[in-house]
Amino acid sequence: MTTEASKLLVVKDLTTTFATLAGPLTAVGGVSFDLNKNETMGIVGESGSGKTVLSRSIMGLQQRTNVTVTGSVLLNGQEIVGASEKVKRKLWGTEVAMVFQDPMTSLNPVMRIGKQIDEALRVRLGMSRADAKARAIELLELVGIPSPQRRYNAYPGQLSGGMRQRVVIATALACTPKLLMADEPTTGLDVTIQAQILNLLEDLKEQLHMSVILVTHDLGVVATRTSKIVVMYAGRIVEMGSTREVFAHHRMPYTRALLESSPKITNPSHTRLTTIPGRPPNLLKLADGCSFAPRCAYATERCHVERPELTPAGQPGHSFACWNPLTSEREVVVA
Amino acid sequence: MAHPHVEPPEEKEPLGFLFWICVGWIGLNLVGAIFANVLPLQNPLYQNYTSINVGPSLHHLLGTDDIGRDIFSRVVYGSRISITAGIGAMIIGFGVGAPLGMLTAYRRGRFDTMVTTVMYALLAFPGIVATIAVLSFWVPRDLFKIIVVIGVASIPIIYRIIRAATLSVASRDFVVAAKVQGASDRRILFKELLPNVAPILISFLLIGVATVVTIEGALAFLGLSVNPPTPSWGNMINEARTVMAQNPWLVIFPSVALCLFLLSLNYIGDRLRTHFDVAEVKL
Amino acid sequence: MLRYVSRRLIQLLGIVFVISVGSFYLIHLLPGNPAAVILGNAYNATTKAALYKQLGLNRPVIEQYFIWMGHVLHGNLGTSFISRVSVVSTIRAALPIDVELIILSQTLALLMAIPLAMVSARKPDGPVDRLLSAGSFTLLSVPPFIVIVLLVLLVSIKFGLANTGPSAYVPLATNWLANLESLSLAAITIAISSFTLYFRVLRSDLIATMQEEFITMARSKGLSRRRIMWRHAFRPSSVTLLGSASVNIGGLLAALFVVQYLLAVPGLGYELIAAINTSDYLLVQGIVFVVSVAVVIINFIFDFIINIVDPRISRE
Repeated sequence: MTTEASKLLVVKDLTTTFATLAGPLTAVGGVSFDLNKNETMGIVGESGSGKTVLSRSIMGLQQRTNVTVTGSVLLNGQEIVGASEKVKRKLWGTEVAMVFQDPMTSLNPVMRIGKQIDEALRVRLGMSRADAKARAIELLELVGIPSPQRRYNAYPGQLSGGMRQRVVIATALACTPKLLMADEPTTGLDVTIQAQILNLLEDLKEQLHMSVILVTHDLGVVATRTSKIVVMYAGRIVEMGSTREVFAHHRMPYTRALLESSPKITNPSHTRLTTIPGRPPNLLKLADGCSFAPRCAYATERCHVERPELTPAGQPGHSFACWNPLTSEREVVVA
Repeated sequence: MAHPHVEPPEEKEPLGFLFWICVGWIGLNLVGAIFANVLPLQNPLYQNYTSINVGPSLHHLLGTDDIGRDIFSRVVYGSRISITAGIGAMIIGFGVGAPLGMLTAYRRGRFDTMVTTVMYALLAFPGIVATIAVLSFWVPRDLFKIIVVIGVASIPIIYRIIRAATLSVASRDFVVAAKVQGASDRRILFKELLPNVAPILISFLLIGVATVVTIEGALAFLGLSVNPPTPSWGNMINEARTVMAQNPWLVIFPSVALCLFLLSLNYIGDRLRTHFDVAEVKL
Repeated sequence: MLRYVSRRLIQLLGIVFVISVGSFYLIHLLPGNPAAVILGNAYNATTKAALYKQLGLNRPVIEQYFIWMGHVLHGNLGTSFISRVSVVSTIRAALPIDVELIILSQTLALLMAIPLAMVSARKPDGPVDRLLSAGSFTLLSVPPFIVIVLLVLLVSIKFGLANTGPSAYVPLATNWLANLESLSLAAITIAISSFTLYFRVLRSDLIATMQEEFITMARSKGLSRRRIMWRHAFRPSSVTLLGSASVNIGGLLAALFVVQYLLAVPGLGYELIAAINTSDYLLVQGIVFVVSVAVVIINFIFDFIINIVDPRISRE
């Protein structure tokens, strides 16, 4: 039984609100979960579910103007919400780091990649120029970039998408953070490269004893690589628990809909893809009740009026938010 | 920063109260310039030696200058020169530069390369030097010649701006989609491109007028604008330099008139740009 | 890279050619007999013959051009009939003043614009930003000649200072302190109008760059805001700054000429306007040609520098 103190990350009631021209927009509402050391967690949801905002809010990376974050995020006991930029800066890179979605835009296009990696080493760890360069080349090798000495002087535009993402990973790992946030790390890449990058992340996690939070819309990605997952919809957690449990015994209809809408290789050919009818809600005009109710096949009166809170399901750690949870067991075979 | 995917808010950034004040001010100036003849103004050329360098009064709203002429009416009449120069030059500049810019950006091909090379060559020629040079040789000077020279000099600049704007719009997906659907060139130009280039065009038009008015002012200072006694804001300020100590109003009033006009134009152009959320066109 | 440079050099030559034709043709814009107009009061049989020899005015126009070009390439822009001094020597005397004025004013403008733009961009729409933006916007609408007039009004009336005039200028070699003093008013005025442009362009570009993802990534590495601003945001933005500087040359020249004329600083602008006023057309033609070619060369150098700073362009 792990105690609070040994948990790497404790998130309580995290809420992020944007002040837009058309009114306040709650992108993340009341999210709570925790993460142990050396654990991999997945945050899953459609676009617009708030998962990217969530990942940035956890790190404290959101922009400074027109955004309010409330709640608590404890990283190794250090509070991030409400902390000053100075305090947060001490954590970024050395305690927690992020791998961004699009490597073309997350690398500085006019700066050589070697410099971008050893910048962190020199500024944060105080390494000398020579040491930093050596370490940077080591890191490039670690992430699987061939002929790292030559590549050290390359510009991002001279590398392929997959290699760029590896550079991004190398930069993020430079100061050996304990927690790595990977925000849709493979979404912009070719399918063939995706598996490589994901495997790389797994290997690195083992080697460097990190915890990883994998943010994605792709269930296939989280199925075998995470030990627990969080399903998000319209900025709130609708189901969470160990990956196995959620896949096998999910209770929230949205989770089932998500699972059913991913094509499976074992289906006979020409199987029609199941889609979820309707569209994600407009976060500016959230109605009362469950956000998923308008699209839910099982919705009742109550669902439209009262928002369900997370309630525990059978297994420890598994909880869901629904008034009419699914009761029948359903084995889902994941490709 | 990743903003959540949301429908764009119904309201665009509002134009603002100040915006309409500026529009009003420009309108007032235009009315003054156009209807100067019929408005109850003093004769701007009449020299009344009995009231020299008089300060503002009921009879002379802004006072008189050093040879007894009413400043207020001179300022109003002076706006004619400046505004006519601004609008006239821009008609030439935009009348030639804008259609050329849009056409070449849309059509590309040999026509485009040819025109663009010529235009860029012309652009390298420093416009102000050319303007001064031509105006100093092409005597005797009149407003028409000034308008033509400034207007022609502005064609390459406007061409480059409009062409850049059209290029960025034309590469957008909805234009390509229209093309694929078989829409005629004319239809695409008018229905897809023009409405999107229009905001940039209008805002640069306004800035252009402001710039020309400034240039006319500078030219007047160098003695290259219309000749006295015809009042223009520029040469009023210029002539006032010698008697600045005795009659500071002579410098202040036309200066203020000029600056307010420019400020209003610039402000309107700027607000229109933010309102239509047009990104700064990278030249 | 080499291909790019050689391509641009050829363009440069082409443009210089066009400029030479234009400058040459200016004389022929004059109404009536060009010789009479050029010579003005000095018109008599001897001078007319000398002028004809110098410009070949009795030959067909195209031949005249080549005669003129031939002289030019030998460094001879003619001898002014009004001042009896060779055009080239007048230009040579006046040119260093322009160069110094440009260097002084632009350095001043950049020294003010860069830090202020950074401060503004750090907190867009914050109180400092609003103040600076409104201020620079207002300055935009006050043309340099009005700035001077108002400044002079203020300075001379309040303090009775009159430190300008062609005699007031002291060359750098003689006494650098007096030199700076004589140019200061002019340099400051020009700097103000350049500053407005630099500030606005840099501010909006910095704000746009700061929104980019790689800035967020740099933040996530734990780098300080100041480092991010200088090392990451400024470099791509400085390209726009350089670009706007080169586009602004036209406006800069205009300000330069007007300020010089008004404050009687004996640079090329002053000489040019004075020449126009004394109908010294040969001098005007010479100055126009030299200045145009200089601007073109400067633009070329600018483009070259932009290339080095942002390597993305040369790879096109």
